Amino acid sequence: MAGESKTRGKPIRCKAAVSREPGEPLVMEEVMVAPPMAGEVRIRIICTSLCHSDITFWKLKEPPACFPRILGHEAVGVVESVGENVTEVEEGDYVLPIFVPDCGECTDCRSEKSNLCSAFPFGIYPWMPRDKTSRFTDRNGEVLHHFLQVSSFIEYTVVDITNLLKINPNIPPSKACLFSCGISTGVGSAWRTASVEKGSSVVIFGLGAIGLAVAEGAKMCGASRIIGVDTNPDKFELAKKFGVSEFVNPKDLGDKPVSQVIIEMTDGGADYCFECVGFASLVQAAFASCRKGWGKTIMVGVDKPGATLEFDSFDMLQLGKTVMGSLYGGLKPKSHIPILLQRFLDKELNVDHFVTHEMKFDDINKAFDLLIQGKSLRCVMWMDK
Amino acid sequence: MGKKASETAGKAITCKAAICRKPGEDLVIEEIEVAPPQAWEVRIKIICTSLCHTDVTFWKMDFGPAGSFPKILGHEAVGIVESVGEHVEEVKEGDLVVPVFLPSCNECRDCTSSKSNICTKLGSKFYLGMPRDGTSRFRDLKGEVLHHFLFVSSFVEYTVVDIAHVVSLNHHVPPDKACLLSCGVSTGIGAAWKVAEVEEGSTVAIFGLGAVGLAVAEGARLCGASKIIGVDLNPDKFEIGKKFGVTHFINPIACGEKTVSQVVKEITDGGADYCFECIGLASLMKDAFSCSREGWGKTVILGVEKHGSELNINCYEILRGRSVVGSMFGGLKPKSDIPILLKKYLDKELRLDDFITHEVNFQDINKAFEFMAQGKSIRCIIWMDK
Repeated sequence: MAGESKTRGKPIRCKAAVSREPGEPLVMEEVMVAPPMAGEVRIRIICTSLCHSDITFWKLKEPPACFPRILGHEAVGVVESVGENVTEVEEGDYVLPIFVPDCGECTDCRSEKSNLCSAFPFGIYPWMPRDKTSRFTDRNGEVLHHFLQVSSFIEYTVVDITNLLKINPNIPPSKACLFSCGISTGVGSAWRTASVEKGSSVVIFGLGAIGLAVAEGAKMCGASRIIGVDTNPDKFELAKKFGVSEFVNPKDLGDKPVSQVIIEMTDGGADYCFECVGFASLVQAAFASCRKGWGKTIMVGVDKPGATLEFDSFDMLQLGKTVMGSLYGGLKPKSHIPILLQRFLDKELNVDHFVTHEMKFDDINKAFDLLIQGKSLRCVMWMDK
Repeated sequence: MGKKASETAGKAITCKAAICRKPGEDLVIEEIEVAPPQAWEVRIKIICTSLCHTDVTFWKMDFGPAGSFPKILGHEAVGIVESVGEHVEEVKEGDLVVPVFLPSCNECRDCTSSKSNICTKLGSKFYLGMPRDGTSRFRDLKGEVLHHFLFVSSFVEYTVVDIAHVVSLNHHVPPDKACLLSCGVSTGIGAAWKVAEVEEGSTVAIFGLGAVGLAVAEGARLCGASKIIGVDLNPDKFEIGKKFGVTHFINPIACGEKTVSQVVKEITDGGADYCFECIGLASLMKDAFSCSREGWGKTVILGVEKHGSELNINCYEILRGRSVVGSMFGGLKPKSDIPILLKKYLDKELRLDDFITHEVNFQDINKAFEFMAQGKSIRCIIWMDK
């Protein structure tokens, strides 16, 4: 790509959607993106999608929210230049930034059981992991904070190599970017975290993109029954395309708790219950809905920092249920994403229905509105070409 | 020497029982009448029984449905079948059996699955009587009903137990070792072996070094754990714990400014692979959870929280790859797993002898309560007439 070599080693001036005040529309601005330092890669974003976690930290007024910030963490792009010591990717490579780091060398990365790299611990930081500084400045030279090690609401971003994966160029960008967070998180939660067994019954609380991705993952694992729980009945028709076969709307139940209905429907409780909204109280409902003896409750959604789950201690003891949680569906980015991408290419994993809207990057605030109003699953925003 | 089985079958037996008439007061040894077993029931001549902390909890409990008196406590025991009721084919007169509080009907979905030990058919109703009809087989000599306890009631010379709560033993085993496997020791070993599935080289943290906690240590040792950290307020437990494989000891009040969680994380370089709560306090369950390693740390709840306190778990901590699971009887299926553990004992893989720290005769049963209250005993065996 002849164009790229001109900017190697130099700051790039480009467009970004900057979040300056909590809950306020993002502002399109010209910003400066510094070249990648050692271990880093500068990427030209092709397209990016909005995830609910972006909204959570856009609205939040206290740490770890911080402003001004470049949000966005689901994207796909092309390598513009690499910093020192980077050999895994080169200029022109088609790459997926992933907010969960994977250094490949520490105890966790070398263990099959964990996806939480200890060399580059996951956290909601405002900076680049190795030197804890930012690569972004605005017109006035003021620092703009990073988000989830990706910051994709911008034409060019800088990402650590531990947060980057080279992927098969045959995957269309509007599908590839989905694997960067939401879809992988959902599929992984069923496949890797819960290890859903063939023939199981599954209940999914929250039929947003994550919940529907759990449904796809459960389907991939051979679940026999996938029940969706959501207060928005509009979601039911769409959810059928993702393998959800039965629906419960808590608002239609009167005084009856959701868990009681599910226990009746499943003759004792479901084998796996997934919470995909991000409310501690729903995790408790999920716990009550899963079957004694072997039921597993999986917390997928992210609640506010400091939120706690509360369980009756005696119930916890005597019902034999498990409560578990994972980041990114327990997936090890560099080992598992290629597997999921291949299953997509082989048509064993379907992600087409996740993209409900596409628009230009300039219209990003519309994407926020659509998601907040519950009218979209994934809205893909294309950078100018 | 007891009465010959053939003489008493079908008739009420008059024998001695240690009755709990008032909460927290000494048990009173009295003669009572034990009715013959009805359909699905087995009458057992107890050889020996042991005191478990759960007995003490319900000995003191003076409120709620469980706070009903008079009752016959005790649920860890071993005995010989004296007679059986209709439909009982699994055991016959003369068989050596262990009664257990956890039922197995062998027919429901849970009993036929290897993944669960929580029988759907029995065990959740009628705490004060027999599981199928809620009535009692015990009356004192004035004719007053004596309540059952945990479907076993072993502080009596003859008890009546539902076949679902009876485990048949094929091997010739010393009765006092079989008695241990009736509750606490099996719970601990099972928790390490079956619930946590401790792997070789794992690190383990155990909160509470009573019989259950020490049994977790023994189970973890059997599974090849590399570090077994015991957490207890009683410093005497360290020496005792060493016999059961405990490698590190933490006394929460002797950690200085550090929390127990910080110390565990230092010892294990990040947190233990498996953490066990073996006391029954929600605050300790939370501490145990905080000691678990992110990525894969599993916390197992074994203690019975009797105050209704809630277990609080931080969402972000659980999101980071941790899990919490509770289990009764260490996830073991009594009828198949108690014989397996006994065989491991006979094959000298599993060590049980050190759990027995005291022995008394039935008439001195109240001493067993004293030993436990003083924190001096792990298991005190109470022998019926020898």
